[in-house]
Amino acid sequence: MTIAPQTAPVNAPVPPAKAEPLDPIYRQIRDLVYKVSGIFKAEEKLYLLADGCGRRMKQVAVRTPREYWDHLTAHPNREAELRQLLNEITIGETCLFRSQPQLDALRKVILPELVTEKTKQITKRLRIWSAGCSTGEEPYTLAMSMMEESDKLLKGWTVEILATDLNDRSVETAKAGIYGDYAVRNTTDYFKRKYFTAVDDKKLQVRPEVKKLITFSRLNLQDDSKMLFMKGMDLIFCCNVLIYFDGTSKAKVVDHFYSNLNFGGYFFLGTSESLMKLNDKFHLVHFPGTIAYWKPSLKSGKL
Amino acid sequence: MSTTSLAATIHERVARIETMPSIPTIFLPLLKLLNLPPDKVKLDDVVKLVSYDNTIAAQCLRVASSPLFGLSKTPDSIKGAVISLGLRRVETILLTCCLGDSFPAKDWALDPTTFWRHSLGCAMVCRKFGDMLAADSDKAYMAGLLHDIGFLVNCIAFPKEFAIAEARAKEEQVPLDEAELATMGFTHCDTGRALAEKWKLADDLVQVIAHHHVPEQSTAAQPLVALVHLSDLLCRMSNMGYGYYERRKLDLIADPAWPILLKEYRSLEGVDLVRFTFELDEAAIEVFQLVSTIFGGSAKLNA
Repeated sequence: MTIAPQTAPVNAPVPPAKAEPLDPIYRQIRDLVYKVSGIFKAEEKLYLLADGCGRRMKQVAVRTPREYWDHLTAHPNREAELRQLLNEITIGETCLFRSQPQLDALRKVILPELVTEKTKQITKRLRIWSAGCSTGEEPYTLAMSMMEESDKLLKGWTVEILATDLNDRSVETAKAGIYGDYAVRNTTDYFKRKYFTAVDDKKLQVRPEVKKLITFSRLNLQDDSKMLFMKGMDLIFCCNVLIYFDGTSKAKVVDHFYSNLNFGGYFFLGTSESLMKLNDKFHLVHFPGTIAYWKPSLKSGKL
Repeated sequence: MSTTSLAATIHERVARIETMPSIPTIFLPLLKLLNLPPDKVKLDDVVKLVSYDNTIAAQCLRVASSPLFGLSKTPDSIKGAVISLGLRRVETILLTCCLGDSFPAKDWALDPTTFWRHSLGCAMVCRKFGDMLAADSDKAYMAGLLHDIGFLVNCIAFPKEFAIAEARAKEEQVPLDEAELATMGFTHCDTGRALAEKWKLADDLVQVIAHHHVPEQSTAAQPLVALVHLSDLLCRMSNMGYGYYERRKLDLIADPAWPILLKEYRSLEGVDLVRFTFELDEAAIEVFQLVSTIFGGSAKLNA
């Protein structure tokens, strides 16, 4: 089977080159993955799922997709295997400027709205939280995008970005802000020149003025007492983290996020991730090419 | 200008324009066929319609032999082509071709490929939406395909005015109907309605064409108009819009169409809208392929 490369998000949908038709069992696996994690691989991304399954099948030494299905549903180790599969299918999503539609929605639609809504407040301050920031790609992307607006929409505004992760080592790597080719594959030359310095011919490091916007720390999203303190957020990004939580914990974290947000604030998940029916207070909102969850503003009367 | 005199002007202008196409011969019989459940459609009736026009017959054969359908051998008769394409696809191709022939895409202000992607895209979303709600999805499909027919009228009857509106919409990244209203004082809904009435289309289609941007103003067939309205918006958020970035946020459940639809279809409440949205990406691929196959790459592609 030919495996299409993991491509950068583009505007026009590009189908994979017609390979042999996929085993229908992959649709069953897709639905199982969706039910358990909220990750949905649409038809044109199904080959990515099949690809991930293929790598796992080698690891657990099963030969056919059908056997692998049994492994995922009937094997004593099925829960652990599903986590491994989730790792496989989301691994390519860790890079800077991962989702252009999300960033477009942020800069073209959401920021103008937030700035208008908050303009009467005494302190012009925007608070963003990257919850589950992994090795820092997301908060740096957000910081650079905000810096692009510092002379325009955000003139006179203070931007604070909070980046947290459960894993100490990830947080340390994130703080260093050094990235190789793969992590910057979606980063344009413009951004590379403006916000990075070369460490050597293979690696780039984020400039100090970008880092200055971000506070990195370790945080467990399931630590209720700490979650209560995360107040006054305008935007929360939590990409491919909740997929590993069971239903009850997921609902709890999402409720926390809802309280952590200001009225009128937005909550973003990963690009193929769904909240499903975990919280009925958030409004599902669509932007070109992406979705988000909105905590309605008080004056909108849409609570 | 008062609303009545504006409507009179549009009617007058639409009626007087010599280039204004008369209704294509196969159009009404085709709508009738589209309105039937698939098992009630007679193969011979479809073959007869396809054979009526040489250009259309040739187009059908060309589409049927394109790699999109992966047929092992090229159909050598119209009947063969109809069988291998499937009734629904043939009907779509017929309707698209006969409208395309009536409105030759010469110097359109709107890129014809963009227009057909949006129209076919909306039709496909309408059908999926209709299926999900157990509504009449064949009628919804047809309504989606025809909802923006007023743009074709604008391209022919008001080419200069419409070009200005289109340029302004692109420039300001606002919805096309807003730009039409701001620059021309009327929209494609008004001109579409004039054409639909001239062609004596069924009232529910006239309602969709005239009110799909403000469904609460329709005087009949409100649920259908609401369904097309929401499908149109979803389409534009899923890369099947008018070929430019629309700076907007779509809050489905706060849209006036939502309660109209909910009143008619209680099952709307339980629908997984996120998964539905993800699945639209799949629909987009098929639409893009179908449009480039029908127009054989002769229309300019602006993906």
